[in-house]
Formats: sequence, C-alpha cells, structure tokens
Amino acid sequence: MASLRDFDRRWIFLIMAVIVVGLNVTGGGGRLPVSEYVHNYYDTIEALPEGSIVMLSADFDPASAAELLPAYTATIHHLFTKKLNIVNVATWPAAPPYTVSEFGRIAPQYGAEYGESWVALGFLPGDDVAMGNIGQSLASAYPKDDVDETPYGDLPLLERVGDNMDGIDLLITMSAGYPGILEWIAQVGGRYEVPILAATTAVQTPDLFAFYPSQCAGFLGAATGATQYLQLVDEATGGAVEKERLVNQKRMAVQSGAHLFIILLIIVGNLIYFIGRRGA
Amino acid sequence: MKREIPILLTVLSGLLVTLAFFTRGENVAAGIETHWSKAVNAELLQWALIFFSVAFILGIANLVRISLKQIQGGGADAFYKTVMLIALFGYLGVGLGEYHGWWSFAGEGEQPMKLWIYDKLFIPLQATMFSLLAFYIASAAFRAFRARSLESTLLLVAGAIVMLGQVPVGDQITDGYASRWLAFLMVYVNGAGQKAIIIGATLGVLATGLRIVLGIERSYLSE
Repeated sequence: MASLRDFDRRWIFLIMAVIVVGLNVTGGGGRLPVSEYVHNYYDTIEALPEGSIVMLSADFDPASAAELLPAYTATIHHLFTKKLNIVNVATWPAAPPYTVSEFGRIAPQYGAEYGESWVALGFLPGDDVAMGNIGQSLASAYPKDDVDETPYGDLPLLERVGDNMDGIDLLITMSAGYPGILEWIAQVGGRYEVPILAATTAVQTPDLFAFYPSQCAGFLGAATGATQYLQLVDEATGGAVEKERLVNQKRMAVQSGAHLFIILLIIVGNLIYFIGRRGA
Repeated sequence: MKREIPILLTVLSGLLVTLAFFTRGENVAAGIETHWSKAVNAELLQWALIFFSVAFILGIANLVRISLKQIQGGGADAFYKTVMLIALFGYLGVGLGEYHGWWSFAGEGEQPMKLWIYDKLFIPLQATMFSLLAFYIASAAFRAFRARSLESTLLLVAGAIVMLGQVPVGDQITDGYASRWLAFLMVYVNGAGQKAIIIGATLGVLATGLRIVLGIERSYLSE
C-alpha cells in the first residue's frame, strides 16, 4: 500500500500524455447535444436584422486560445453570414494578433470590406476603466483605428455607430478572465442597456450563471460550448467552419479521456487513503 | 497639505463620477444637452487611461531595475533574468523598428517579424504553460484530493460531476444524467451561491467607495 501511495508521479504524467496524444491521433468525437445557453447565444445573433452593428471584444490571450479561439472564429463567420457589421476591440494586450489573422482570413470569404463591414480598433489599456470609456465615448477611447491609424470619423462604419453605445446593437466578448464578461456587464451592459453575449473559459463559466439570462443573454461555456456552437454555425454556413468543428469534436474526445483519468485517480487515491487509515 | 490635497482630489473625483451616473445624456431630438458632469467624467476616464499607460512604463522600469540588481548579484535566477531582459527589449526593438519603418526583418509579402515571434514563440510557449495544468491536476487528484470531511467529500463529488457533465462520455456512461446533474449544480447551487457572494461583495465595495469619497477611508494614502 505504501508503494502505491508514494509511487513516482511521473507515471501519472506519462499515462496522461499517452491518453491525450493517443486520443488526439485516433479519437474522433461525435456530435454534442446543444445546451440552452448555446442556443440562446446563437438565436440572439440570428434575431438581429441585417446591417446591425455588433461590438466584438477579444479579451483573451494564447493561454486561453484553445478554448476561445474556435468560438471567436465561429462568431466572426456567423456575423458575416448574417451580413452584420463588426466593431472589434480588445482589452487584453495579446489579443489583437488573433484579430489580424482571423479577420484577414475570414472577411475576404464574405466580401466584407474593411471600414464598411468591419473595423479593428485594437487594444485599449485600463481594464474596466477602458470598458467604461468605450461605453461612454467610443470616439474618445479610440481616436484612430488599429489597422492603419485612420481617424475615427473617416471610417464609414464608425460614422454610423456615432460616438457612444447607442449605435451598437449587441456586445459579444471572448472572455478569459479579468477584464472580461463581468466587467462588460458592470460597465456597459447595465448602464447603456446593450445586450451581451459571451464565450468564456471553463474557469469563468460558473460566474455567469448569476447573470444569465437577464444580463448575459447566452454564452458558450469553455470548449464544450464552443463545440456546440461550431456545430450550429457549420450547419448554418454550409460547412464554413467544418475544420474547426472536427478539431473541436476531437478535442472533446481527448477531454473525455483526461477527465475520466482524473476521476479514476481521485477514486484510487481515496481508496488508498481509507485502506491505509483503517490499517493504521 | 500633503494629506489634504489628495483627499480633496479623491472626494471631488468620486462625487463627480457618481453625479455623472445620475445626470442626463445628450438627446438631440428633445433639445437636451449633455450635463457638465458627464463631460468631466469623460475627461477623468481619459486621465485614468493615461495613468494606466504610464503604469506600463513604470512597471517595465521597475522590472528592469530589480532584474539588473539580481543579475549583478549573480543569483540562481541571473540567467533567466538575462533571457527575460533580452526578450523584453528585443521584442520592443523589433516592434518599434517595424512600426516606425526603421528596419524590417520580413521579406516582401511575409508577415512582420513582430507577428512571426508572436505566432512561432509566444503562442506555443503560453499554450505549453497552460497545458501543463492537466498533468499537475492529475497528480494533485491522486495525492491531495481526499474525502477527509463532509465538506471535502461534497467538493470531490461536485467536482467529479462537473468533470463528467462537461464531456460527452459523461452522458454516455450515466445514460444522460451527468449533464442534468451538472445543470442542477450550476444553476441552483452555484447560481444561488454566486448571487449571494456578488451581493455581499457589492455592498462591501459600495461601503468602501462611500468611505473613500467621504474621506473616512485613507489607507490608499498609506495611513
């Protein structure tokens, strides 16, 4: 029993690595049932009339990209499919390169012109103060855009937005933590009555249940929520996010294996603990 | 005066920002102009953003000062501190140089070096650090997650249900119950607990805010 209790933890690392790599190579995940929260996220976007303006905030970094980037990609596809316009902002400094790569790849597929259908305003320091500033006066917060420093008023989409949140029909945040969805709700959602949607990391998802559905109309919780949403968007766009959907469905199979292994370790660890205690 | 002026500025700023919450905004149709307190609030928010930006520079200066001291001391971390400083100023130099057109390391049609470093180094490094969590959690699950008391048993059971309910295999082995148990835990148990915590914390913030605005709370002045 003592040898089991004190055995080298590198064996655990090795088994975990074999499970993750093995399922990544062989596993193929099936379709997931779609939860109410994901349906509401999808339906809120579907309900917007053509030409509406959505503020999409990239509040994440590479550490959380495995969970949030698929949701970000699918959301951009969904918004452009619906012919909605996007004002992109970021409150995390490491997020804008994702905006450059994702919009650079996706916007041309839909013929979405920069300045007309979407704009990228870039990173704004200041956390929740920055959000408050964006809510109060977008033009003051961002005098120029992030692509080629075009003045705010020279971009046709921003001219339609005007100065404040009155011109924004929906706010969506890809939220990895602080600042993120909770700060958007406090600084902008409640004050300017803008409906909010969110994609969140697994760690942050439990926080949202206190705000759903009154202050956050729908959300994609972690990789599970993102996978469910990718399934819906893939159907709606005729396979535009098929690659991302397949990768995420496979990730869910990998996550299944890892979670089962952790639960097994908890059970075995406790069995050893109780048997050892009885023996003592 | 060293005490009175900061307190006066804090009280004035706090009152003005609070006032701006309750005053009218511009309504062109009704011929209503923006209340002056909103303009002051907007100006204060701009100042706050400038402070945040300056804090970045102060943070870098402090990091460099402490790191140089440790490098000079030749401690165990001296090598890592040197790598960190080279990475910090190297990336800053690449970014500034490419932004201002002083130099470019990228060929025609290639992505800028700044983005190349981000894609090829920063993303894999951060993703690797985050991925290590899976191994540490697995190890901790075996060694530390013990049902020593009723509370820790409840925590373990709830954790297992959440892990099962989050993945497709959970429903497969429990005939669909895992996601239902997860929903119950999240909506009723977690939702109610979260709301109680948020209400309590918000009341605390409100009380502290009032104490600061009224000049009663002075701990921010190191008193």
